[in-house]
Amino acid sequence: MVRQPGIKDISELSDQLVELDPKELMPLPYPYDDRDTQADLKKLTEAQRQRLEASLDGFTALQLAIPKTKEEEDEFVRQFVTGVGKLLSEDDNWAFLGPLMLRLDYCAKCQSCAEACQVFVGSGRQEIYRPNYRSELLRRIIKKYYSPGGKLLAKFNGADIDVNYKTVARLAELAYRCTLCRRCAAACPIGVGNAMITREIRKVFSQEMGIAPTELHKGGTVKHLATGSSTGMTPAAFADLVEFMEDEVEEKTGMRFKWPIDKKGADILLIHNAGEFMAWPENPEAFAILFEKAGVNYTLSSELLGYDAVNYGLWYDDVQFAKVALKHIAVAKKLGVKKIIIGECGHAHKAITVVADRILAGDNQIPRESSYTFLADLVERGLFKLDPSRNNFPTTLHDPCNVVRLMGIVDPQRRVVRAVTPPGSFREMTPHGVENYCCGGGSGFAIMNALNFPDWRNAVSGRMKFKQILEAFGPELAPDVLDPSQPKYVVAPCSNCKGQMRGTFEYFDATAKTGIRYTGMVELIVNAMTDFEKPFLNPEEEF
Amino acid sequence: MALRDFGGQELEIDEDGFIQDPGQWNQTVATVLAQDEEVPELTDEHWKVVNMIREYYLKFGIAPMVRKVCKDTGKDLKQIYALFPSGPAKGACKIAGLPKPTGCV
Repeated sequence: MVRQPGIKDISELSDQLVELDPKELMPLPYPYDDRDTQADLKKLTEAQRQRLEASLDGFTALQLAIPKTKEEEDEFVRQFVTGVGKLLSEDDNWAFLGPLMLRLDYCAKCQSCAEACQVFVGSGRQEIYRPNYRSELLRRIIKKYYSPGGKLLAKFNGADIDVNYKTVARLAELAYRCTLCRRCAAACPIGVGNAMITREIRKVFSQEMGIAPTELHKGGTVKHLATGSSTGMTPAAFADLVEFMEDEVEEKTGMRFKWPIDKKGADILLIHNAGEFMAWPENPEAFAILFEKAGVNYTLSSELLGYDAVNYGLWYDDVQFAKVALKHIAVAKKLGVKKIIIGECGHAHKAITVVADRILAGDNQIPRESSYTFLADLVERGLFKLDPSRNNFPTTLHDPCNVVRLMGIVDPQRRVVRAVTPPGSFREMTPHGVENYCCGGGSGFAIMNALNFPDWRNAVSGRMKFKQILEAFGPELAPDVLDPSQPKYVVAPCSNCKGQMRGTFEYFDATAKTGIRYTGMVELIVNAMTDFEKPFLNPEEEF
Repeated sequence: MALRDFGGQELEIDEDGFIQDPGQWNQTVATVLAQDEEVPELTDEHWKVVNMIREYYLKFGIAPMVRKVCKDTGKDLKQIYALFPSGPAKGACKIAGLPKPTGCV
């Protein structure tokens, strides 16, 4: 049995609080139902363990160096406690203080959130991953340091926790064991979510202590602001990629046309996640084909940041978030467009439409729309000649949390998928829509690829989604559907979700064993278009 | 960040063994990195891919998209995987001295 520590155990001086056992993770259905042959979870080497903080569960998202002296440890704790104080200050945290206090004060500890969490349930119900375990740690730390008589009355007022180096270091890692999917907030009888508390903890580490995953900060927002894209793509590289994609579109469809770039007088600025250009170019290619065919007056941008919709600050840092969001708006203003359309990237939807709304005033309030609703409208206006039988394979639809649960866009993407697939071939996952489960790669996990973190992400946080996908295509519904020779697609209109699926499918060797693949949504529309001789989707092409 | 010896030259590498400064790359470095990626010997065919990736990176600051690698070297994806078992992004780019890819790729 894996150990189930209580909240106070977080501060114990042991080398590692919990060791996961692959056999005790949530069981999976056929063909992964043999518990004795579960894939291993990669362990750090002894040399890495000597250097890097992994005392929570043996995994490391942050690659924190272990302090060498007691003074360094004490300083680490002091900085964190100071940072927590700033979370509670109107001056330092004006944007989030109100919602944070509601979440800290009104939780009745009913634990309804626990069963809603795919990390907790997927892990085989490990106590440390229970959503409220993490939130309760922050509540106790706040009570201890920031309530009258906190330390003195600790035992009586729920502030009974030893705040030492281990407590804070484990909490830092624990802040990266939640995907910020907000399913817990939807399950809570009074709407208290743990995701925001998690993000506030991440924020203290980043803004007060300069601690954040390399992939999100140094190789993420910092690179985004410096080069124009988190991928490092410069405007010259963007131009080269567009040229290459124009050629590819011609080869695949016979259509030769220039993609509009920096077009003055365009109505719409279309912003993609730049990862698409490099990893899934067929996605921006499909957008270009559809917008060209529909005669949309739009443009892409080659300005710094104008060709990369991501905003990783959403996941860990308010300052970095605001810098990126304001640049995106400035690019749209300079072009004079009437509206921004966001490509198939879930967190970019949340960043620029919802969260940035708090910092956009006056003429910065440029309308923003999801590509899902925009495309549903184009499809339903009959602008494309579609033959659903061209998508002659089973499909299911993954709901990106940020678009579906957060923004309430549920139906348009379903209408699109139904319009481009043969009757009976589309099946829903259970549950879906606003009750969907996160892909497991939310909040940046899909791109956090160092050391053994990918194994945790694929086997633990991605487990529930993988189970749902298998069940959607599962033998209960149709006996032969998991036959590997029958291609089937998870439609996942989000770069991050696709990245996670690529990882999970590879970890479980799913395409070879079950024939399951993933795709974006626009590719499926183009694949159904009767204008082209050749199919646009190629099940043999795996990247 | 750790230091690693590449035939007498000490270079900084990240936790996954990618070199940090592509400017310090040379053929010896490539040969050492190839050992980590299940490529015991770099043949002319390997070099064709490695050099193409490196030249693209020096010009544009990013790795070329996989399909461009295939097109420019005249190889299909299966052939690339046969040369670099850990794949174009993890294997070939690492050997070509590129830092670990960033962003949602």
